[in-house]
Amino acid sequence: MSRVFTFAFAIALVATACASPQSTPSTSSAAASATAQAITRGGTAIVAIWQEPSTLGAPYGNQTVLGLVINGTVEGLADTSNDGQYLPTLAAKVPDVANGGVVVKGDKMDVTWTLAKGIKWSDGDPLTSADIKFTWELWMKDPKVNTRTGFDQIESIDLPDDLTAVVHYKSIYAPYPRNFSSILPKHLLDKEADVTKTDYVRRPLGTGPYKITEFKSGDSITLEKNPNYRGAPDKPYLDKIIFKSVPSSQVALAQLQAGEVQAMWNLTEAQTPDVEKTAGLALQVVPGPSVERIEMNTAQNKQYTDPNSVHPVLGDIAVRKALLYSTPKQQLIDKLLFGKATPGASPVSQGWAAYREPQEGYDPVKANKVLDDAGWVKGSDGIRSKGGVRASLTYTTTTGDQLRERVQQVLVDEWKAVGIEVKITNQPSAVFLAGSCQANDPRKLGTYDIDMFASSPAIDPHSTMLRYHSKRIPTQADCAGENYTRFKSPTADAAIDTAGATLDLEKRKASYATALKALNDAYVIIWLYNRGSIDARASALQGWQPNAWRSFTWNMQDWWLKK
Amino acid sequence: MGRYIVRRLLQALPLLLAISAVAFAILKAQPGGPLAAYEGNPDFTEADRLRLEHAFGLDQPLPLQYLTWLGSFVRLDWGYSFASHQPVLVLIGERLPNTLYLMGSVFVLVILIAIPIGVLTAVKQYSFFDHAVTATVFTFLSMPTFWLGLLLIILFGLQLHWLPLGGIQTLGQPFDVGDRLRHLILPVATIALVQMGGHVRYLRASMLETIGQDYMRTARAKGLGERAVVVRHALKNAAIPFVTIVALDMPELFIGAVVTEQIFGWPGMGRLFIDSAFRSDYPVLQGILAVSSAFIVFANLFADVMYGWLDPRIRYS
Repeated sequence: MSRVFTFAFAIALVATACASPQSTPSTSSAAASATAQAITRGGTAIVAIWQEPSTLGAPYGNQTVLGLVINGTVEGLADTSNDGQYLPTLAAKVPDVANGGVVVKGDKMDVTWTLAKGIKWSDGDPLTSADIKFTWELWMKDPKVNTRTGFDQIESIDLPDDLTAVVHYKSIYAPYPRNFSSILPKHLLDKEADVTKTDYVRRPLGTGPYKITEFKSGDSITLEKNPNYRGAPDKPYLDKIIFKSVPSSQVALAQLQAGEVQAMWNLTEAQTPDVEKTAGLALQVVPGPSVERIEMNTAQNKQYTDPNSVHPVLGDIAVRKALLYSTPKQQLIDKLLFGKATPGASPVSQGWAAYREPQEGYDPVKANKVLDDAGWVKGSDGIRSKGGVRASLTYTTTTGDQLRERVQQVLVDEWKAVGIEVKITNQPSAVFLAGSCQANDPRKLGTYDIDMFASSPAIDPHSTMLRYHSKRIPTQADCAGENYTRFKSPTADAAIDTAGATLDLEKRKASYATALKALNDAYVIIWLYNRGSIDARASALQGWQPNAWRSFTWNMQDWWLKK
Repeated sequence: MGRYIVRRLLQALPLLLAISAVAFAILKAQPGGPLAAYEGNPDFTEADRLRLEHAFGLDQPLPLQYLTWLGSFVRLDWGYSFASHQPVLVLIGERLPNTLYLMGSVFVLVILIAIPIGVLTAVKQYSFFDHAVTATVFTFLSMPTFWLGLLLIILFGLQLHWLPLGGIQTLGQPFDVGDRLRHLILPVATIALVQMGGHVRYLRASMLETIGQDYMRTARAKGLGERAVVVRHALKNAAIPFVTIVALDMPELFIGAVVTEQIFGWPGMGRLFIDSAFRSDYPVLQGILAVSSAFIVFANLFADVMYGWLDPRIRYS
């Protein structure tokens, strides 16, 4: 009996030791000079992934690594280019208002998708518009799908012919181009009562350059050329791609250096010098959409805080300004992130709506002056107070994250130097990032002073922008929102609402900029840095192209191995 | 004897039931839960959360969740993983052969090496051989497996390039026995070197105790050769404590070596458990824990039964 507990304890130990909280991938580039050279065909590339996808069924998974593995197999109607534009994949073109593909009818809209001609599933059956309708139906019918966002805005789908689907939305749903990002095969799954119990979730049938031929749990996933690919026989170039499941990114890096694998997914900044000093390896750094931020709670630090209450210290904009002025973003990037990141400016760091107006820079003198002017007086221990309130705050992020802990050490010293005392109160990511009130997420409950975490905007920035709408403040009655700073601005609210009600990109972009300016003028969030996606490969593996919005496997049909 | 086994088995039932209830309670007390992983997705809504909670049965009261699990478990329906949606029995079935292969190799190797060395160190007590073995054994015994494993990887994999860094076989190659064995060497060595130490010391201690007994002198006086004296008379009697620890190793054939499998990327039960623990995949965790605890109970019973065979003076009542 005691063995069971020893066993469980050992697991707990290993679990803590192995926890790698960040899992944001993306694309890459360093040498994209493949086109000029003669391309060699054939061969096998092995890609190390240090997280195993538990399922390969696109509707059911929630891991970043899922997309990484099925990118070459399961395709959608449209995809995203590096600059955040939509490009057609299975569709002949991306419908929009200008080309007549999108028709707005009051507060509803119709989107007409036309499939490109002659596309086949890898088993040889033709892709038809019925597959589009089936994809929507399955997503709405199956209780185990991840999220129905987008699909739940669809009222009905008409199929005038085999290549055309008219999607009737019951609202103006701006991110419609990425709604159908994984098309499911009707002919294979139509008769299935429960798709999760079929072979599809291990070896999904798709239209992409590769088909998944083997799934060995805990070991590897093998992809082979799809003979029915629309680019065949020219593409794909490689015969096989194998995703190898390894226990950690350190192991992945060791295997890359030893030549056992040709590429690896997702390195930390601290690992980049190892790759740079190894001959025959190339690093792929792509500015990703993930932004590490520090948020300040403007309401009282207590359970189910009243959004209208005022934080005794952070309620004063002078303190919030001083914290920003005494945060050395560039120094953190240079020293702790090996220069592989850029200073943050807003939550929308990439894409067509990117807002890059920088926050005010590092200036401790200015920080001191703002606090002096606001009446925060330094005591004998160097910590300021005002009206009997001591400038003492807590600072919460995920436990066990080395980078974040180092950032905290730097910032606690910097802030103390201007007279603000900060105590570290980190929590396990399962609690701190739980995202629900039941699981005691302090951001949801309002039981924090300063927090730090990262979040990536979706390709359409609207769900990100809603985080800063006053109606999205989590409360006891409605815990759903993510406005953790309890930021309230009529200007921002109106701008976000305006952007959500139109499909005019220029108007949306301007509205988001208005809202983000109001947000930054309130000094409630310090945008620390935009974290890049870092992947590595053997230099012999050619054809990689950067894409900030997708995993580096987005163009596997173009990969080839230099002999 | 038969009645004794039946009685012990019946006694084990409430124990196993209690273990599964405690394990269930501990799992549920962990922060996070199986839906925490979905939260990173900005599109994941409260409605999605409620729907999935219902689909997974997480909206039921805790005692009911436990009873539902227990009810299906005894009917050999171990449920479906929350993460992969595969049947728990299938997931275990995929990993168990790999763990049996690894831990079985360790098990056999440890017994084959520990028995002769343990006997020899006792017979030749305080010889140079005894001192050398004792020093070596304590060195490895005091090494944590995760450290020893990494050390072996760095030395034989990264520096010398003699052996692969991990995995069960070279990917993209047809099945090859030599390749399989090369992948087996380092993980087996990591576990065996650490495990062997305890076994050698146990056997040495109980051998020393037996060698001093009167019947040993009698055996020699009967004119038996030294070999027969040591193997038939000393070893058989000294084996009782040794059998206990070997029997207690047997559950590891199923459980796997959590740390070693993690370090070497071995697709076995240990890694399945860790991965499931990260995801709060309750059905998988409950299944593995229930079977592990059953194995431990049965291994103890097996040890007790073995005593009687080794020493007929032991009576079961």
